[in-house]
Amino acid sequence: MKPTIGLCCKTWLAAALLTSLGVQADTLRIGVAGPVTGPVAQYGDMQKIGAMMAIDRINAAGGVNGMTLEGVIYDDACDPKQAVAVANRIVNDDIRHVIGHLCSSSTEPASDIYEEEGVMMITAASTSPGITEKGYELIFRTIGLDSLQGSLAAAYIRDHVQPQRLAVIHDKQQYGEGLATTVRDLLAQAGTEAVMFEGVTPGDKDFSALIAKLKRNNVDFVYYGGYHPELGLILRQSREKGFDAAFMGPEGVVNSDLAAIAGDAMEGVLATAPKSFDQSPDNAALVDAFKARDEDPSGPFVFPAYTAIQVMTQAIEATGETDPYALASYLRSTRFETTIGEIGFDAKGDLTEPTFQVYRLHADGSKTALD
Amino acid sequence: MQRALFPALFAAGVTFLLTCLVIGVKLVQGGPTLTVVGADADTWSWIAFAVVIVFLVQLLKEPLLGLKQRLPMPDVTGLLPDEQLRNRLKPWLIALIVVGLFVWPFMVSRGAVDLATLTLIYVMLGLGLNIVVGFAGLLDLGYVAFYAVGAYTYALLSEYYGLSFWVCLPIAGLLAATFGCILGFPVLRLRGDYLAIVTLGFGEIIRILLNNWTNVTGGPNGIGGIDKPTLFGLEFNRRASEGAQTFHAFFGIQYDSSYKVIFLYLVAVLLVLLTIYIINRIQRMPIGRAWEALREDEIACRSLGLNPTVIKLSAFTLGASFAGFAGCFFAARQGFISPESFTFIESAIILAIVVLGGMGSQLGVILAAIAMTILPELAREFQEYRMLMFGGVMVLMMLWRPQGLLPMKRPHLELKAS
Amino acid sequence: MHETTLYVLQQLINGLTIGSTYALIAIGYTMVYGIIGMINFAHGEVYMIGTYTAFITIIGLLTMGVGSLPIVLLLALITAVIIASTYGYAVERVAYRPLRGGPRLIPLITAIGMSIFLQNYIRLAQGSRDLAMPVLISGGIEFGDPAVFEVSISWMQLIIWGVTLVAMTALALFISRSRLGRACRACAQDLKMTNLLGIDTNRIIALTFIIGAALAAVAGVLLGLYYGTINPYIGFMAGLKAFTAAVLGGIGSIPGAMLGGLILGVTEALTAAFFPSEYKDVVAFSLLVLILLFRPTGLLGKPEVEKV
Repeated sequence: MKPTIGLCCKTWLAAALLTSLGVQADTLRIGVAGPVTGPVAQYGDMQKIGAMMAIDRINAAGGVNGMTLEGVIYDDACDPKQAVAVANRIVNDDIRHVIGHLCSSSTEPASDIYEEEGVMMITAASTSPGITEKGYELIFRTIGLDSLQGSLAAAYIRDHVQPQRLAVIHDKQQYGEGLATTVRDLLAQAGTEAVMFEGVTPGDKDFSALIAKLKRNNVDFVYYGGYHPELGLILRQSREKGFDAAFMGPEGVVNSDLAAIAGDAMEGVLATAPKSFDQSPDNAALVDAFKARDEDPSGPFVFPAYTAIQVMTQAIEATGETDPYALASYLRSTRFETTIGEIGFDAKGDLTEPTFQVYRLHADGSKTALD
Repeated sequence: MQRALFPALFAAGVTFLLTCLVIGVKLVQGGPTLTVVGADADTWSWIAFAVVIVFLVQLLKEPLLGLKQRLPMPDVTGLLPDEQLRNRLKPWLIALIVVGLFVWPFMVSRGAVDLATLTLIYVMLGLGLNIVVGFAGLLDLGYVAFYAVGAYTYALLSEYYGLSFWVCLPIAGLLAATFGCILGFPVLRLRGDYLAIVTLGFGEIIRILLNNWTNVTGGPNGIGGIDKPTLFGLEFNRRASEGAQTFHAFFGIQYDSSYKVIFLYLVAVLLVLLTIYIINRIQRMPIGRAWEALREDEIACRSLGLNPTVIKLSAFTLGASFAGFAGCFFAARQGFISPESFTFIESAIILAIVVLGGMGSQLGVILAAIAMTILPELAREFQEYRMLMFGGVMVLMMLWRPQGLLPMKRPHLELKAS
Repeated sequence: MHETTLYVLQQLINGLTIGSTYALIAIGYTMVYGIIGMINFAHGEVYMIGTYTAFITIIGLLTMGVGSLPIVLLLALITAVIIASTYGYAVERVAYRPLRGGPRLIPLITAIGMSIFLQNYIRLAQGSRDLAMPVLISGGIEFGDPAVFEVSISWMQLIIWGVTLVAMTALALFISRSRLGRACRACAQDLKMTNLLGIDTNRIIALTFIIGAALAAVAGVLLGLYYGTINPYIGFMAGLKAFTAAVLGGIGSIPGAMLGGLILGVTEALTAAFFPSEYKDVVAFSLLVLILLFRPTGLLGKPEVEKV
């Protein structure tokens, strides 16, 4: 009995809603879910400006199949608990296309709900391999995986650095530890065993004990899996304590703030990072558009987020429908021309080509690409 | 007025000092160099405005207070029906609320039901901690540890042994209770604030261990793909997993994704009602009375032959077991758990719920849990000011009603003349 | 010297440095607790605000072209102490004083609320990014055999020890010799009686908040210079560690806070030296639990006699 009442109410509500929205029926709403608040809000901002720029430019060019796009921002504060609430709200708001979430730990519980409820999600930032491993149909990403980055780093270390005494340090977080483990294991297979493998506490400021230990172990090369605040401090304090090994990190450390924290000690640090799409001549006009809006296009998630919208709309244009399942099968079957180059998706929903490259970082915040 | 001039000037000066450097000047990181820039004229005029307001309020404090006292306060108590009628209406009211709880999810949106489920988790946590803090008067800052134990119990048992939610629920409660007992035994002889810091430390230890024990708990990756509860074996998914049947197929109705959310909500309601019932009963038993007696006067209790260690331990263990149930349910609702859901701030929020509700009062705790989970959601409009407001409201609420929303009423008898 | 000895020596030096700053922050917890028996959870945020003020002053003065480093640092220290003390005072006045005399848990909740508020207030005003300033004081002494293990003490570490020593001595003298210090001690013994003797206890309580905040600001300036980076979230962990140090030493006891800070710092450094450093917090908290089990009032805490 009860469900019937509920259903009646729902149908009535839905009908009322539809009539009220009748005027705007040719608007396609796209959810943009990520942290607007909380400690990683600045990364959420990168995703937001990328997605919003794409939406505005596509609308300016006449929209998609006569529909105007509308970006709806949702804040999950990178908190897994709130991510579930946000996902439920998105389903509730009848939005069927989502860009996000940002942090892997939020994306993971949210993608369960999207898959179940038939919502298409493209994340432009979550790099944890676990997300696409469950065989989801509607979950995609426009950014490379941690594991790809790790194998790239390991190959570079093996071929070009050939360290005598290697240490692998990580920050005990999903992203950092995953990368560090990949690098350690791949190098061990290649015959270079790490003399040290240990974690630090994120948010910690004092690494003097760790550095003394590195010094004692005569380490000459350190791979750090984690983000820039901790690596910056490790570099800065290493310089002070006269510890001068070479360092390498993942894309999480490539940030202009690293130069500010580490100072001169940053010169020569190696890092794997997504190709700098804002440096690509093809994107010059787009970079100018960002600059005209006083936005910074250099963040690592700006162009992947832009691409996510691009891919979605190209698929809608080609298939002529907005049904997530139709779009998903189209995404898997086609290659796309995007701001991050020509891309395609594999069966799991991951990019088929790696988008990372090894860079050498400089103290003035710039970086040069290595082959 | 003149007497108030000096304090008013002082308060204005303090306000200026508080704001001038921190808001009036901003550190800007432009690439590798750090620079300071003064805020724009707008910000400075806001600072000036704040200083003037503080000055005026302090200066005119006495007249303002006088004015407030002269305002007629509406007499609310007169509006309530008299006590006998209230007592007669009470069971009906409760019945109405319970029926309402079961009916309303079918009327509202999926998001609201989901939020209500989250609220109910906090209600459960608040009620559990209320036993420890409100009844027994033990300050526990590491309550989240037991919540984590419950959540991980279900996640691990379902991942490694494929046990279902309903089997794991009692196990989670028992295991959390065991942890409470093990921790409680040595630390309960500590006095008030030492107990607080030890429990806080314990909470952190559990979280760090979960984070570092990567082989079993998945470390920072957490555990994903945790099954949702089933209704006597019926699943609420679109497609049934192997050897199982779905709810909609069994009843031959069309699949609707909101059934799952509503079912989770109903399970939460049942758990909360059960919690309330159990705690209500225990509160009236000798052990419940002993908790409160111990809180009021430990020495008197000892003189009367009560064993404080056993009494405290029972409160601690029982409180922990409810956190275990809540944790188990949380893992089921979330489908994915990782150590970052069990940080100190979570303990602080649960404690805030208990204190805000008026320690010891069950209805108060429920209201406070609703306020604490709904408020940040409502304040979403304010985006980045949300947490600022949350902190501010927490302070203001306590200043406004230090005894809590609904302070506990102790059973009492009144002798009436005539 | 033997290699292990040198290594342990280096870790002791690191541990004492971080320990002295824990001790400076712990004073604020312990003094407030000693007098009104409440845990001021917002104290860590006051430390954070002190660090921000120091950064603003230093960068501001350097941009203005004040070249002399000692003057810049001194001015930064003074500004940080003034602003942080004002915050300490204001927090007490707004969030704790109106609740005095009520149940003890209530101010604890306002303190947690205040802590969330201040953290987000700074985040909104100054942004949530990590801010970094260039190394101002570099270099140090190195000794030991470079072939075996070289122990280094940076000037900054020496400055931290020196300033902590001076601040602690000043505090000890103030508490034991001055009139106000005597009033503080009287308040700690018996608040009501002190009030009856004609001492304005509200003023003394405000004073303890100011002293605690000032010392936290000193720690903030030192650590700001030592690490060179800040964000609005540093207050929480620093506060938690300092609070642990205060309890370890026996909350309410000022020498206890100093001792507790040093022990905690050294324990952390030695743990990180011989075990994976991710376990250093676990060891720190376990040490606390152990000490409390055998000495339930902390190392130097007085056993309290329960009165009816």
